[in-house]
Amino acid sequence: MKYLIIGNCAAGIHALEAIREVDKTGRVTVVSDEPFPAYCRCLISYYLAGTRTEADLEMRPKGHYNLMNVNTILGKRAVKIDFKNRMVILDDDRRLDFDKLLIATGASAKPLGAEGENLKGCFKFRTIEDTRNIIEMCKETKDAVVLGGGLIGLKAAYGLKKRGLNVKIIIKSGQVMSQIVDKGGAEIIKRQFEKNGVEILTGLAAKKIFGNGKVHGAELDNGQSVKCEIIIIGKGVDSNLDLVKNTEIKTHWGILSNNKMETNIKDIFAAGDVAETIDLATGEPTINALWSAAAEQGRIAGFNMAGKPRIYEGSCAENAVEFFGLPVISLGIHRPQGEGFQEVISNQPEKFRYKKLVFKQNRLAGVVIVGDFKNAGVFLSLIKSKADVSGIKDILMEDSFDYSKMKDIIPKKKEGVLITTTIDAKEIFG
Amino acid sequence: MKKIYCNLDTCLACKTCELACALAHSESKDLESAIKESPKPKQRIRLQKTAKGPVYLLQCRHCEEPACILACMSAAMSKDPKTGLVRVDEKKCVGCGMCVMACPYGALIIDDEKKISLKCDHCIMLLEKIGKKEAACVAACPTKTLVFCEFDDLKNQFAPKKLTGY
Repeated sequence: MKYLIIGNCAAGIHALEAIREVDKTGRVTVVSDEPFPAYCRCLISYYLAGTRTEADLEMRPKGHYNLMNVNTILGKRAVKIDFKNRMVILDDDRRLDFDKLLIATGASAKPLGAEGENLKGCFKFRTIEDTRNIIEMCKETKDAVVLGGGLIGLKAAYGLKKRGLNVKIIIKSGQVMSQIVDKGGAEIIKRQFEKNGVEILTGLAAKKIFGNGKVHGAELDNGQSVKCEIIIIGKGVDSNLDLVKNTEIKTHWGILSNNKMETNIKDIFAAGDVAETIDLATGEPTINALWSAAAEQGRIAGFNMAGKPRIYEGSCAENAVEFFGLPVISLGIHRPQGEGFQEVISNQPEKFRYKKLVFKQNRLAGVVIVGDFKNAGVFLSLIKSKADVSGIKDILMEDSFDYSKMKDIIPKKKEGVLITTTIDAKEIFG
Repeated sequence: MKKIYCNLDTCLACKTCELACALAHSESKDLESAIKESPKPKQRIRLQKTAKGPVYLLQCRHCEEPACILACMSAAMSKDPKTGLVRVDEKKCVGCGMCVMACPYGALIIDDEKKISLKCDHCIMLLEKIGKKEAACVAACPTKTLVFCEFDDLKNQFAPKKLTGY
């Protein structure tokens, strides 16, 4: 069997490891346009902050590819799929044949779409290379501006601040992390950044970036100018669909994948930030571009490619993040729209604590918790398993809530489902 | 694999296991010195009270397909292919909380002082270094409520209907 994996991050690595658990002898090839061995992409903010080195980012120990008996082609981009001959063509014209193909090309940082974003000192924040360049630039820089208040923007701001720069975050919407946290939680996160010396301006966008070869600052849509030498664009990500554009593979926002992570073309799979799956909280097709989702999808794709059937029930918005010591959890639907939702909120801004549960009828649909990580996985399990929580709604808000209070209401794991949504009968009994 | 199981019918909720766990993961391994340590030694096994009253013992299940490993964005979590033990590499862990978010049991916690993830490791260090035969909590349990054995050997340990969790 000839396996070909395009992509060498969370989905790619977990896929190849799953393949090797089942098939020890098949030929596995991994292609990536990044020239590095697999690394922990989400840790680039710690690399920027200086609390981790580049070597610390390595996802697997040296020699892992050899151990896995995998052929790697790094620093080369897959540009075309030849469906008829079952081949992928690389940018150096190499042709790689396959029996099973995994497309795990990931996503790229969105451009700002404003004048001046190609000036020196203007960066995206997605890869080791981006981070290297930012760190190099930091040496001769005092002031930085981050455009965007989502996860990427806030993590970049955190890293730059830790490096000792003056940091301003410019956010178009009225709050930080508008995609994953509601207003109450966002207010506390904003205060946490301000307490740590990061300035946040909301309701403003950069109209253009000005400079003379190098960045000198940004002009905002209210006419105000902010001076800086570094600008980081954190405007979210787009799936890397170039390889499948105008081909027979069906796409929407991402590549449409079924519950085996297979595309509409047999033997061609998609996983990670490029794959569109069903969201377990909303029931709608979506891309939850998350490390955990990519890893699980990759593993499931790998098993299915190697002939061990595994079912993917769907993804869920699930984020755990920590800013200057403040834990933030966001799961499922954080800002319900439409009928039938109920919200319960406990807000203690003076203690930097916030908790919101979103219910849809008798089940938990979303959670936002600021100030505490505790039991986040228990809430996630309730959301993903669509458990009937009507009997425990009251105790869900209590600090003393934990697994023991809900263990009897979690539905048992279904046959073939890999992990996480429900509890394995062997792990709990009685 | 051998796991730690608990017969809840004989559990007195004395929390000796919690203390033994924290002590086993302390620097000094000596109670008098351990309580003065900074950061404080912390337990990885916890007694919880169920809604109906009885206690419930919670620690890492060392799942067959661990959600924490897939969620771990720093590749600090791994499963030993030989022993099945799920472990956290403290040097790689950044304390981001993703594993806490993924664990459906809530068995993981973040050490608020060391900023790393804490979980039951079956006292592997003790077992390897000092040659003990069982985890500290099991050895310390005064009512022999905790046992360390294979799942299939459980019926020799407790009457099956008394087995309410572990």
